[in-house]
Amino acid sequence: MWTFGRKIAAGFTLAFLLLLGIGGVSYRSISALTSTSQLVTHTHQVLEHIADVLSLLKDAETGQRGYVITGDEAFLEPYQAAVGTVHNVVKDLRQLTADNPNQQSRIDKMEPLVAAKLAELKQTIDLRRKGNIEETTKLVRSGEGKKFMDDLRLLLTQMEREERDLLKQRADEVATASSSAKSTIIYGTAFCLVFVMAAGFFITRSLTGQIGAAIRHVQSSSAELQSAANQQASGAKESSTAMNEITTTISELLATSRQIAESAQRVAHVAEETSSAARSGDTTVQKSHESVNSIKRQVDLIVTHMLDLGKKSQQIGGILEIINELAEQTNILAINATIEASGAGDAGKRFAVVADEIRKLADRVGGSTKEIRVLIEEIRAAVNTTVMATEGGSKAVDLGARQFMEVASALKQITELLGTTTAAAREIELSTKQQATAVEQVNVAVSNVAKAAKETEVSSGQTLQTAGQLAGLSRDLIRLIQANASA
Amino acid sequence: MTLLSPITAKAAELRSVFDQARAAPFFSGKEEQTEDLLAIRVSRDAYAIRVSEISGLTTDRKIVAFPSPVPELLGVAGVRGALVPVYSLAMFLGYNAETERTRWFALCGAEDPVALVFSDFEGYVRVPLTELYATEQKDVSRTHVEHVVRATDMVRAVVSISLIRKTIQRRCGNDGVSKER
Repeated sequence: MWTFGRKIAAGFTLAFLLLLGIGGVSYRSISALTSTSQLVTHTHQVLEHIADVLSLLKDAETGQRGYVITGDEAFLEPYQAAVGTVHNVVKDLRQLTADNPNQQSRIDKMEPLVAAKLAELKQTIDLRRKGNIEETTKLVRSGEGKKFMDDLRLLLTQMEREERDLLKQRADEVATASSSAKSTIIYGTAFCLVFVMAAGFFITRSLTGQIGAAIRHVQSSSAELQSAANQQASGAKESSTAMNEITTTISELLATSRQIAESAQRVAHVAEETSSAARSGDTTVQKSHESVNSIKRQVDLIVTHMLDLGKKSQQIGGILEIINELAEQTNILAINATIEASGAGDAGKRFAVVADEIRKLADRVGGSTKEIRVLIEEIRAAVNTTVMATEGGSKAVDLGARQFMEVASALKQITELLGTTTAAAREIELSTKQQATAVEQVNVAVSNVAKAAKETEVSSGQTLQTAGQLAGLSRDLIRLIQANASA
Repeated sequence: MTLLSPITAKAAELRSVFDQARAAPFFSGKEEQTEDLLAIRVSRDAYAIRVSEISGLTTDRKIVAFPSPVPELLGVAGVRGALVPVYSLAMFLGYNAETERTRWFALCGAEDPVALVFSDFEGYVRVPLTELYATEQKDVSRTHVEHVVRATDMVRAVVSISLIRKTIQRRCGNDGVSKER
């Protein structure tokens, strides 16, 4: 894209080149006109010299005639003036027509005729002076002088005609050159005017468009800048407020750091006491471990006894089965005895009563064995449950013993860790003091930042003002390039 | 000790009952008319047998089967030194005998005894005769039942051994089983 300077320079360069061309053509035409005018003046000088030659010869003849007629020397004055001048005039004429061979040839012919005429005039005057009038008249009457004059007139007329032709030709050339120069100036000026107007129109339109777009861009940028400045101002205000809050928080943090340092000191003290208590706890745990091992042995013994009890219950169950069977057989025997007794009539009645009692007893024994079997089953279930519970207890005791070992190990570890904790607490105390110092420095830095935030706030206000001025300036610029712009 | 205390108490109770039985007189003044019954189960149903109709009760005898046109006859078994034909009580009462256990043997008849087998024996009961009620014979399962009785807190059909014996004798008379014996 071309810059403004480049476009304007290009327009002016083209206009300058056109003016230079028109000026060159005009200069050339005027030079030609001037040259042709000089040639016309020269031709007029030649014509004047030709007329002078004839006039001087006529003056010489007039003086000669007056003297011849009157014999008065006073009439010879034109003659003498012409004789003294005519040669110089012919000489000048030769110089003026030096570039014309036709005229030089005529001058070559004219010079002897001028000399002959002057000689004839001098002879006539000399004869008259001597008083020889007849001879003088005779000589005049011979027509020699007239012939010389006629030849001279003919030559001079030819010369004049040629010069007149040249004059006419040069006048035409002057007219042509003048017309050409006029046309060049008129058309060139008109073309240049049209070009300059067109270039001016296009450059103006282009520049107006570009500058207008740029100004609108500046306008929108200034609006954005205003908005950004507003945001920046509000942000700076918020930053300032936040910095104040941070300053307050840091002050609290500083106080907290001091409290932490004191707490760390107390922690170190407590850790030392805890370490002592943990060592004491380790001894207690060792004793407890021995007690747990004793409990474990007792529980194992209980499990063994309970298993024996289970086996005995099984044996009781077996015996009970035998009792039950015996009761059943007794019952059968009693029934059969009853049947036999009833078959024996009255003699068997007493036996029947006994048999009946035995049967009843067997019935009761059978019922009781059933109840006892239920009880034995309950005992066996209880024994099984107890064995399982005891085994669970044994496992729990094992677990407890292991946990006691772990507790002892943990207590040792706690003692070691408490040493580490004490060291760490001391380090925390030291670090917290350093932290407090650092926080004080941060507090100072934050105060500086708060000050900077306030300055930023002020600066944002100035930016906002500048953005407003920029927006006004862009509106003025728009009005400058677009007269009817309402922006 | 807590678990064993009921057993000790039960033993003491038994001892007391036995002692009281021995201490009481054999006969009291007035005797009620009673019927002695065996409470049994046939295919899980409750029945009763009159003690007066059987000649003995035994268990767990080996039954030796032999072919017979009488479906109720399961075989023969040795009881008290003699071979006794064994019949299925369940089949006389209309049950399927194949699924029935054969543990209990009730001997019927003194001179020509037969054994009726059933699965379960529940006990010996003595009921007043007034508790026995006559029943009507309406279907096959009630062919050999003449009475019902309320005993051991339930109503039981009283199997008539005499009717069963008549049925056996009738069938044996037709196929000649009794002639072989």
